[in-house]
Formats: sequence, C-alpha cells, structure tokens
Amino acid sequence: MNRRSFLSLSTASAAALLATAGMGLAGFFRFLYPGVFYEPARRFKVGYPADFPPGQPVFLPTEKVYLFHDPAKGFSAASAVCTHLGCTVQWSERDRQFDCPCHGSVFAADGAVLRGPAPRPLTWLEVTLSKDGQLQINKNRPVTDAYHLLIPA
Amino acid sequence: MLKSILRSIFRGDPPSTQKGRSELVFYNLWLHIHPAKVRKEHLKLRHTGYLGFVSFFLLLILGATGLALMFYYHPYPPRAYQDMKDLQFVVFLGPFLRNMHRWAAQLLVVAVFLHLCRVFYAGAYKEPRQFNWVVGVLLLFLVLTLSFTGYLLPWDQKAFWAITVGTNIVASAPLVGPVVKVLLLGGHSLGIQALLRFYVLHVAVLPGLAAALVMVHLWRIRKDGGLAPSPSGPREPSAPPRETPIPSSPEKSYGLMGIVTGKPTFEVLVPEEEEAVFSYPYAFLREGAAFLATSAAVMALALLYNAPLSEVADPSKTPNPAKAPWYFLGVQELVSHSPALSGILLPSLLVLALLFLPYYDGNPSRRPRDRVLALSLFALVVLSYLVLLLIGLYFRGAGWAWVWPWAKGAGGGA
Repeated sequence: MNRRSFLSLSTASAAALLATAGMGLAGFFRFLYPGVFYEPARRFKVGYPADFPPGQPVFLPTEKVYLFHDPAKGFSAASAVCTHLGCTVQWSERDRQFDCPCHGSVFAADGAVLRGPAPRPLTWLEVTLSKDGQLQINKNRPVTDAYHLLIPA
Repeated sequence: MLKSILRSIFRGDPPSTQKGRSELVFYNLWLHIHPAKVRKEHLKLRHTGYLGFVSFFLLLILGATGLALMFYYHPYPPRAYQDMKDLQFVVFLGPFLRNMHRWAAQLLVVAVFLHLCRVFYAGAYKEPRQFNWVVGVLLLFLVLTLSFTGYLLPWDQKAFWAITVGTNIVASAPLVGPVVKVLLLGGHSLGIQALLRFYVLHVAVLPGLAAALVMVHLWRIRKDGGLAPSPSGPREPSAPPRETPIPSSPEKSYGLMGIVTGKPTFEVLVPEEEEAVFSYPYAFLREGAAFLATSAAVMALALLYNAPLSEVADPSKTPNPAKAPWYFLGVQELVSHSPALSGILLPSLLVLALLFLPYYDGNPSRRPRDRVLALSLFALVVLSYLVLLLIGLYFRGAGWAWVWPWAKGAGGGA
C-alpha cells in the first residue's frame, strides 16, 4: 500500500467513523425527543360567555390561564405562568395584581412587571368565539394586553 | 473437610505472619484495592477526616436502601405519591428505609463537599493527582444530579415546584436551554413523562455512571502513589527510578512482564518500617469503625427525624414560598435577583473553575502559608455560598420576601 492510498483510506475511515457516531448521537437525541406530548391542549374551549359574568378573573387550573371579563372592553386571557421560572402566579383581588410565590415577582393587572426578577410581562392570549358559541383560548397566539374580545349584547 | 473448603477460598497463609497479612490483601478481590501496608500518618483521623470513606459508605447505604424502596415505587403520578403514603403507613420498615435514604443523601452532599474542601486545603490535587481531582469534581456533580432527580420522585408539592423551578433555570440557558428542558422532561411541563425520565436517570443511568467513576477514583489513588502526605510535612519524594528502565526504542519489543514488574509511575515505596503498618488489621479496623459510625449516624437520624412529605403535587397551585432542597437554596437566592446570569452562568463558571483547578494553579507548593491567595479565594467562594444558602433557608418567606427567622410564621426550612 502506498502513502496516497493509505492516507485516503484512513481519511475515509475516519470520516465514516465520525459520521456513524454523529448519526448515532443524533438518533439518540431524536429518540429522546417525544413524538407526542401528553399535555393539556394549547387551543381549548372554556365555556359560554354567559358562564363568565364581569367581575373577578376566573382561574382555569388545568390550562393555567386567568380569564378576565371587563364589562366595557370584553374578554381577555392571561397566562398564569410566571415569566421568570414558571411558577403559577396568583391574582390578588385586594391589590389588583398577580403575585408569584417563588421569587416574589409582582405583575400589574395589565401584566406589566411591577417588582421582582421576572424579565417579561405576563403573556396575553388570543380569545375568540368558536362556532358553537363557546369562548376559545389559543396559547399559540400571544397578543398584546390591549387585545379584548367584545361580544355585543 | 471444612479446612479444605476454607483453604480453597482463602489461599494465602494465615494472617498470623507478615506474609499472611500481605496475602490477605492481595489475594482478595474486594481488599486488593488497598496496599498491603499503609503509612501511619494516613490512618490518623485529622489527616483525612475519613471523608472519602464516609462518602463511599453513604453511597453503599443509598444503593441498598434505594434498591429496597424500588420494590414499592411506581414512577407514575399520582400513584408515586400514594406509594410514599404506603411506605409511611403500611410497609414494614417503610418509614425507616425512606428516612435512611433521605438522610444518607443529605449527608452525602455534606460529606463530598467537606471532602472537596479537605483535598483543596491539603493541596492534594497537585501533581501527580490532577486527574483524580477532575474525577472527584465530576462525582460531586453526579451526586448533585442524583439528589436533584431523586427529589422529584415523591411527587409531592415540594418536589413538583422545586423541580419546575430547577428545569426552568435549565431552560433559561442560551441557545440549547429550551430543547434540553424538553429532552429532560419529555414534555413542556412537569408530568407523567418527566417522572419516568427522572426515575430512569435516578435509579439506572446516574448510579451506573457514579459507580464507574468511583472505581476510577479509588483506583487512581493507588496509581497516583497513595494518599498525599500532610501539606506541612516534607515534600513528597518523586518516583524512584526503575532498576532496569524499559527502553522505548522502536526496534525493541518486550513482553508484558517488563511493564508489570516495574513500579507504577508514581508508586512511592513505603519507607522505613516505623512509618508504616500492615493494612490488616490496622487500616481495616479503622475503615470498619468509619462504616459503623456512618451507618449509626444515618440510622439515628432516620429514627429521630421523618423525611418530609407535603401534599400531592398540584400543577395549578404553587405553594408559597416554594423552596428548593436546602443545598440548592444559594442558587435559588441568586436566581431571585437575576435569572439566566446567576442561575446558569455563575454555576457553570464555578464548575469549570473547579474542574480545571489543577491545570491553572501553577503553584507547586502544598504548604498553606505558600498558598494564601488560593486558600482565601476558595474560602471566599465557600463562605458567600453559605451566606446565600442561609438567607434562602431562614430569611425568605412568602413571595420570597425578606423575613426575620424569629418572626411569627416565618418560612424557615427547606
């Protein structure tokens, strides 16, 4: 075997080894990445508008969402997941603010950060009326805090 | 008959002779990690504190109790939590075994940490023991990961929210964070998949890795020339030259015997008779005593204090305050000030600084008075973490607000 064929053979072998290892590693990580998520749906119906009279926001525990109903502006929904490290914030009717129990972040009623380590305001989610007349929230569609769904009486 | 059976198992001479005492050590699979003779200095409690032994024994206790607990545990919510209740109320010795596992795990964190401090203070990570320090730091990291994965398994509120916070810290890492979180949890939030993954990591993957590294760690002690001598004593003699050095010229070929009979690179001959004693019985008695003391301490704690268990995990309701296990509270306190920077960057830098310590610390001396800067820096880091930890433990109440520990209803405890 001459030098040229030895070098090209070893380069090819090294490349083949690396490719095999790389494919094995990629396959392993792809294997670990779930093909299906057994989790609450990200788009879901919550009930008829009449079920949510204006007043205190309603907490939806499974989806971790606060549903607001303002008599003048209509419906809006805020994610209850703290933007800091994912604890569930609690609405305080007395102070009209959200408190995070984990690291003390405080959010205003419009979701803005008042205090604490949270880096971003709470996420507002799109609220629409589905065909069967129920309110529908879509976690894949974040909106601004100005977004409201007004249903004419 | 009995005699011939015994002779077939133990081949060496009886340990009444010096030859027999040596053979007892190296004809035995479980003992031959020891040298036949050890330095008297190394057997003193104040030389090592027996911290390596204590850590090893705690690992054994954790393995045994953990295996026992596995017989009654289903990694599936909410059954996992019901299994905790079963262990508490209906399984014979259930509370005792769970308590032992819990307290041994917490003692292990303390023991490996003190072990690290001791080795640092003694400068024992310096040549020729650099690599064993690296293995030790990896083992510390594994111990923390084991404790992190084990913390979720009871599936109570404490577990659920501590791990929620922990995995979200991981997710705040730049670039790979969110993907790593999904791989770790098998989902976007803590649920069925996450419990199974943490279980597999906790009972199979991580203990396997730890066992492998422990073997390397112990083996390297011997290959690196035994324990480091006391830092204030005379300098360690360098490896004696081989009687017949093995030539390494390309023409010469040689059999295995040439390598095997030569002394290991850094093996230092045990010097004068009066400095060394036979491992049997002097070292083994002391190790046995350390094992008994460790087991007794764990059992006493298990009898006196019950492992905590809060209500079953409820993803919609975060308890207030939600605290991590006590040894992670320093990180949580940092995280409460700024997330990614202090939760990811600072700990990663600290781990890297520890890992590569032997390679950038160029000071060859192991005497404390020659290492004032290194020792003070180390003490500063340790003390600041302890202060943060104590703040997180005793001075943080509902909403992570500052409270005085003596105030009524303060949130003390982890």
